[in-house]
Amino acid sequence: MERKLDQTQALIEAERCLYCYDAPCEKACPAHVPVPEFIQSIRSGNLKGARELISLANPSIEVCGEVCPEEQFCQSVCTRTKIDTPIKIRELHKFVTDNVKLKDLELDLPPLNGRKVAIIGGGPAGLACARELRRFGVKSVIFEKKELGGIPVQEISKERLSDEISRSEAKQILELFNAEVRDKKITSINELHGEFDAVFISTGLTEELELDVKGVNLQNVYTARKLLKTIKSGMKTGLGKRVGVIGGGNVAVEVAAALKREDPSRDVEVVYRRGLKELRAFRDEIEEALELGVAFQFLAIPLEIKGTEKVEGLLCRRARLGETDSSGRRTFEEVPNSDFFIPFDTIVIAIGQKPSDIFSELEKTNNGLIKTNEDLETSMKGVFAGGDIVRGASTIVESVADGKKAAQSILKYLEGGKNV
Amino acid sequence: MFKKVDISIDFLGIHLDSPFILSAAPPTDELEMAERGLEEGWAGVILKTTSVEGNPVDLKNPMMSSFGPMSRKVVGLGNIDLISHHHIDVVEERVKYLKKKFPNKMIAASIMGASKEDWQTLVWRLKKAQVDLIECSFSCPQGSMGEEPGKMLAQSIEATEKVTRWVKEAADTTPVLIKITPQVTDIVEVAKAVKRGGADGITASNTIPSLTGVDIYTFEPYPTLFGEGAYSGLSGPAIKPITLRTIAEIARNVDIVISGNGGAFNWRDAVEFMAVGASNVQFCTLPMHYGFRTIRDLRSGLEHYLKEMGFASPMEIIGRALKNIKNQEDLVKPETRSEINYDKCIGCGLCYAACNDGGHMAISWDSELRKPTVNEDKCTGCAMCMQVCPVDAIRMKEKLDSKVHYFAERR
Ligand SMILES: Cc1cc2nc3c(=O)[nH]c(=O)nc-3n(C[C@H](O)[C@H](O)[C@H](O)COP(=O)(O)O)c2cc1C
Ligand code: SF4
Ligand code: SF4
Ligand code: SF4
Repeated sequence: MERKLDQTQALIEAERCLYCYDAPCEKACPAHVPVPEFIQSIRSGNLKGARELISLANPSIEVCGEVCPEEQFCQSVCTRTKIDTPIKIRELHKFVTDNVKLKDLELDLPPLNGRKVAIIGGGPAGLACARELRRFGVKSVIFEKKELGGIPVQEISKERLSDEISRSEAKQILELFNAEVRDKKITSINELHGEFDAVFISTGLTEELELDVKGVNLQNVYTARKLLKTIKSGMKTGLGKRVGVIGGGNVAVEVAAALKREDPSRDVEVVYRRGLKELRAFRDEIEEALELGVAFQFLAIPLEIKGTEKVEGLLCRRARLGETDSSGRRTFEEVPNSDFFIPFDTIVIAIGQKPSDIFSELEKTNNGLIKTNEDLETSMKGVFAGGDIVRGASTIVESVADGKKAAQSILKYLEGGKNV
Repeated sequence: MFKKVDISIDFLGIHLDSPFILSAAPPTDELEMAERGLEEGWAGVILKTTSVEGNPVDLKNPMMSSFGPMSRKVVGLGNIDLISHHHIDVVEERVKYLKKKFPNKMIAASIMGASKEDWQTLVWRLKKAQVDLIECSFSCPQGSMGEEPGKMLAQSIEATEKVTRWVKEAADTTPVLIKITPQVTDIVEVAKAVKRGGADGITASNTIPSLTGVDIYTFEPYPTLFGEGAYSGLSGPAIKPITLRTIAEIARNVDIVISGNGGAFNWRDAVEFMAVGASNVQFCTLPMHYGFRTIRDLRSGLEHYLKEMGFASPMEIIGRALKNIKNQEDLVKPETRSEINYDKCIGCGLCYAACNDGGHMAISWDSELRKPTVNEDKCTGCAMCMQVCPVDAIRMKEKLDSKVHYFAERR
């Protein structure tokens, strides 16, 4: 999907912005990007100034310029919608970051003050935290076993987010804000003893939820995120011709689209218990999947994966929508005597992720997520956490916001409660 | 986090942390507003024009009216505001307060009087309050000295010189700016009179007398007060080209410091004002429209511009364009032709319409292909087509002594 604004388009778009006072878009952005101000800078031809403003607020702005679900955040509340259509805020971000790179600007950072913070997990939250800390003279060491950058680098498909952007942004944060990376898996705070003044945990959700039906152990049953990583790394999945993707979130839609892209002749069908409206994926991704020819089997409850050695298909039961639940979505209920069979040669399970079972010394929620207070501090003093490991599956910009917020809390903690 | 560039300047011996100050107008008419403006980052304020206690100020509301395309309502702002209803007693106190609270900002005041005593009293009292600079409004419609009611002081050469002398006599070492109107036959004569009167500088210029609009169904002029209206002072983007010329014309002919004012709406406009000779730039309609927060882009835009240009200080901009401003008869005579970039052309046909009915019928139109073609023999190079092309697909190829130059306005 080409959505790059050229100079003329960007100026016309910027001109439409009302420059709202107390702008709702800015408030709705988890990272609080000063939208009206950076758009004003586009209007005045001050692209470098615009870049400074958005980079200051959002360390992962290049990635967000590509994949931020703006219809969920800033654009959803744009005042301009009361006149016609919302300002294309994310595309204006992209216009700015395409035209001015972080390295085109001169940084001015204070000297290091000797404090050192351990950051466990080098995704958007961890990187944002590292950058924010460095702005105030604190050095961080990022512990990352895989490639730096987290989900944007490892899992979001190349079609939605180019490697170049996600990798270079992570690298730039690392280099410009001289954090250190260590290739080491940390599973307990104890391992960090002695060296650090504070800890930030941003490991994200590393494990995939398992489907509790018969047949999950058959050959040709796969998990979605592993596949996404395979596809992202450029390898062929070598999957079959009739693929069923079980799940109703972004990952399900994303993996379905990716498989269709890999082999357009392959039948890919997303099997989901509720309806289209309940699908927890971003609208433009659903649209993209549909355009690619991904089929959706709504209101279908998987009962059993059939097959002897290999997958032969999925036994489902029909569902219908029920009451509205606390999340505002309709629940589903089974329709008696409505079982049906869909032949598949491959099944991909994409029903969600969960945290891995580490950091047992910290208080957790029922879902195994790390519990924090308002300041993102965990049950252990000086240990903070943010991103998906605290929120459950969320968005990049929310993780970035957590990273920034945690850094501020850490700075406060290091100062002994003083505000920075 | 990002390196900041020093954009401070020296203006009549006063240190300004940027060339951008708030002009004498509503944004500086309340103490709290002036404070907020300075806190937000403006380099200085000129408090709205004040007068002696005995001078009644009879304000009428509504006092604003604007015009512009519907998508952008304020291209020009008209007002029938007078000077401040706060008299000098209030302003004196404000100057003292602001000077103490913001020792590194320029705290200036604007004055207007009806007699020599008025002018000099105002100056003495402000001096005692330790004002950094005094601006004299010679360009408010009610600013006559009783000789020619309704006429602006700066429309009379003699009065301008005389009153400037009174003011400077009282002000002594305190810098004095005379704020003039572009609404005169010869701006140079006015500037010369200001100089002869001894002022340190000139503020070019105030709002321009105008009639912002008339309701075509009721025939009431805007702004309308129970059906009736008066001429208003026009400010904002609409007057920028006039101010630019006013500043340039003074700078080319009179050796005097100029404070640019009138129509600047972003840092680029400010750079233009400085390029034709202004030493700093005042803003009024911009903060009135979008608030004091606008200072941030003004500053950051100028910073990056200076870096890009390799200038060490904004002062390097001052007067840089003047050498290129000539009289029409002294210009070279290039051979010019319109040139269309078909990669950019979107086939709207506007250039054809403009050239066919307003140029030299040099563009032909293929309505099948929706494509314009320039006939070089007929094209005189007037550049009308270039003005109307919505995507800047047209530029002018100028040739002189086999040297080729492309004229394309960078907006
Ligand atoms: C509502 C209004 C009131 C003004 N009052 C004064 C004034 O009291 N004294 C003065 O010297 N100029 C006054 N001005 C003129 C401004 O200081 C400024 O010179 C003019 O608006 C042009 O600049 P701009 O285009 O940046 O607004 C006033 C302008 C406006 C819009
Ligand atoms: S809400 Fe919309 S119109 Fe208002 S400042 Fe934000 S982007 Fe501009
Ligand atoms: S701008 Fe504010 S003060 Fe002026 S008329 Fe509107 S509400 Fe009243
Ligand atoms: S005005 Fe510009 S875009 Fe329109 S037809 Fe002419 S060259 Fe093409």
